Amino acid sequence: MLPVPLGHYLTVSAILLVLGIFGIFLNRKNIIVILMSVELILLAVNLNLVAFSAALGDLAGQIMAMFVLTVAAAEASIGLAIVVVYFRNRGSIEVEDVNMMKG
Amino acid sequence: MNWISALPELVLACAGMAILVFGVLAPKNAFRLASMFTIAAFLITAMLVMGGTTSLGYSGLFSSDAFSQFVKLLILAAATLGVIVSLDYSEHENMQRFEFPVLILLSTVGMMLMASAANLMSLYLGVELMSLSIYVLAAFARDNLRSAEAGLKYFVLGALASGLLLYGISLVYGFSGSMNFADLSAELTSASQASTGVTIGVVFIVAGLAFKVSAVPFHMWTPDVYEGAPTPVTAFMGTAPKVAAMALLVRLLSGPFAHLLAQWQQLIVLVAIASMLLGSLAAIGQKNIKRLMAYSSIGHMGYALVGLAAGTPLGVKGVLIYLVTYVFMNVGTFACILAMRRRGRAVEGIADLAGLAKTDLGMALWLAIFMFSMAGIPPFSGFWGKLFIFQAAVTQGMWVLAVIGVLTSVIGAYYYIRIIKVMFFDDAAEAFDARPASLSFVAVAGGLFTTGFFLFAAPVEAAALAAAKVIFG
Amino acid sequence: MIATLAFYLFAGILLVSAAMVVSARNPVHAVLFLILSFFNAAALFLLAGAEFLAMILVIVYVGAVAVLFLFVVMMLDINFTQLREGFQRYLPVGATIGVVLLAELVIVFGGWRIAPGSDAHRFAPIDVAVENTRQIGNILYTDYILLFQASGLILLVAMIGAIVLTLRDRKTSLHQVVSKQVARMPADTLVMVDVIRGAGVPADHYLRPKVAPVAAPEAAHDSHGHGGHH
Repeated sequence: MLPVPLGHYLTVSAILLVLGIFGIFLNRKNIIVILMSVELILLAVNLNLVAFSAALGDLAGQIMAMFVLTVAAAEASIGLAIVVVYFRNRGSIEVEDVNMMKG
Repeated sequence: MNWISALPELVLACAGMAILVFGVLAPKNAFRLASMFTIAAFLITAMLVMGGTTSLGYSGLFSSDAFSQFVKLLILAAATLGVIVSLDYSEHENMQRFEFPVLILLSTVGMMLMASAANLMSLYLGVELMSLSIYVLAAFARDNLRSAEAGLKYFVLGALASGLLLYGISLVYGFSGSMNFADLSAELTSASQASTGVTIGVVFIVAGLAFKVSAVPFHMWTPDVYEGAPTPVTAFMGTAPKVAAMALLVRLLSGPFAHLLAQWQQLIVLVAIASMLLGSLAAIGQKNIKRLMAYSSIGHMGYALVGLAAGTPLGVKGVLIYLVTYVFMNVGTFACILAMRRRGRAVEGIADLAGLAKTDLGMALWLAIFMFSMAGIPPFSGFWGKLFIFQAAVTQGMWVLAVIGVLTSVIGAYYYIRIIKVMFFDDAAEAFDARPASLSFVAVAGGLFTTGFFLFAAPVEAAALAAAKVIFG
Repeated sequence: MIATLAFYLFAGILLVSAAMVVSARNPVHAVLFLILSFFNAAALFLLAGAEFLAMILVIVYVGAVAVLFLFVVMMLDINFTQLREGFQRYLPVGATIGVVLLAELVIVFGGWRIAPGSDAHRFAPIDVAVENTRQIGNILYTDYILLFQASGLILLVAMIGAIVLTLRDRKTSLHQVVSKQVARMPADTLVMVDVIRGAGVPADHYLRPKVAPVAAPEAAHDSHGHGGHH
């Protein structure tokens, strides 16, 4: 089913996952890029699921990937709503400004 | 297709949508009525749960058994109390919108789905339904910067955690060929059977769920989110979701991954020790009582994980009993915290409790009972929870874990008892505003449960043991 | 052969554009790169035989989610020039951790094998003779109906959440109340005045709004007579 060995798909997805985690932890600029990094992580998972589904010959992985897509869309909309609320209160979306509470 | 097995969830979800429609169409603000309907829906659902039978429905995606019934009843109780404590606060803080109880209700549906999950897919959707509602609830006081910041932090870290959880699910699926719990446990009958991929997948899944129970390496969000979120949301967040996530961890690790005990046991032991230590040490310097409760909950989750680490029905029974005691003392404490209000403004400092015994003896007594119970002092319920947990650990020969547990409870007792000292022996500060009946009700209910737990511990213990045995088959 | 080349091409573009999403200085560029990476991921899905998912990814992501991102980036009106550049500070540590994590994952994947005996557990075996979309449809609404409904609830929560967090009911904004506007009868607000033929129309003799001596701004608004409501 797959044009290349499964390991190649998994490697692409692992790199994508690491890039996404990178984007969350190393990003000091703005929160919207963090939300996009979350989307990248979920994309990595979907790639994994689709590749496994093809390798195993089992449709369950694709169904799961579809639910992940649904949840990712919901997550994006809630995340952006929270960012908008935060921006209205704080007037900024810089990551380093998210520091009101410390302890 | 055995659709009747999910009847409580279906009824609750339909009730939620009906309340939503009612709230939209109601001519004036429907917050109070919507809350009442939500409480009624919770009670009806609880009755349906109690009348439920053991069955595996929806092509093996959903299982209704003694374990899920036990957990669901606890979740419903926590959610009901959570709605009750929010009534007065929301009206004071101008967030009386009917969406609030509806979101709590939908998040409860998610938790019930988690409790019944028999497949990694239903697990994931349950976790997300629960979490997404709580992200919104944390940011619900949208004109308050602290609430918005709490929502943002919780969302970003929570989304990362569910990403990790999901990556783990995909690895387990790929390397074992199934997402069904029954198939997984048939597949992974010995540690050698599992490839490295499955083990890494399990680690990712545990990391994702550890975030939801705020166990130590994944606890960073807890103090900030507890402090920033509106207090009734903190009360809700600190009880029901913790129960659901812990139950999921138990079902997953003691069910499909039971034979990988050697792989996950070390991990859970480390997480438990770190959580107990941090929970007791970091709480000492806190001045804000909501932050203190955050560290306290981290510690409590550490104790619950000790029972899980034991890997026996006895340990799981301990976890369930611990969760029961935890829910009632926690929600009672938050009812007292919500009653801390001077001239209409909420206060959250521990110093604000000074001399409470002289101005409001009743509240001081209830709060003292909760603090004693959290410290694990007999005869209050917290003591029994800890007793069952440590008993299970010792039976398995995990002496180190039990000793560390006892030591950290002693350290933890210091800051719980400090609050009692502040309330009873410091000079009286200005009195709090009159307590609304809803908060008194929750504080008294929680207090009576905590005090009288030893009287009816036997049936709870029997139910918990029956539930634990289901997991181990 | 062509499929293999296509895989490397799409995978390469996917990873480069994902790296650009994370590192782009301008959020608008980041969104555009996100769209590019979704397109390429859809191509990888196609190569793996998941046609339906590939199309859904393009429609839902590029069509809705990415546009939502763009919309919010534009709406928030951020001053891009002021955004600090602090990426490099943590780069060495981060890169080390990332490379280690990646190496570990890749080593694990090298030893991939399907667990023995797992063939019996296939929930929904793929049948090559039936198209992908039909197969998904066959099980999505039957075996997975519960989860399908649960994902519906998740979208409902997203909708409630977005509305409750961002919708503002300003006291000062003027709304149109359609029911009142439709129910309004001419007789409620207008009077018919007889005019004497040939005498011209005196200033106050024509079909005009009933004089309603109310608060000044309200009256000014009402006098236009097109049913404005507050």
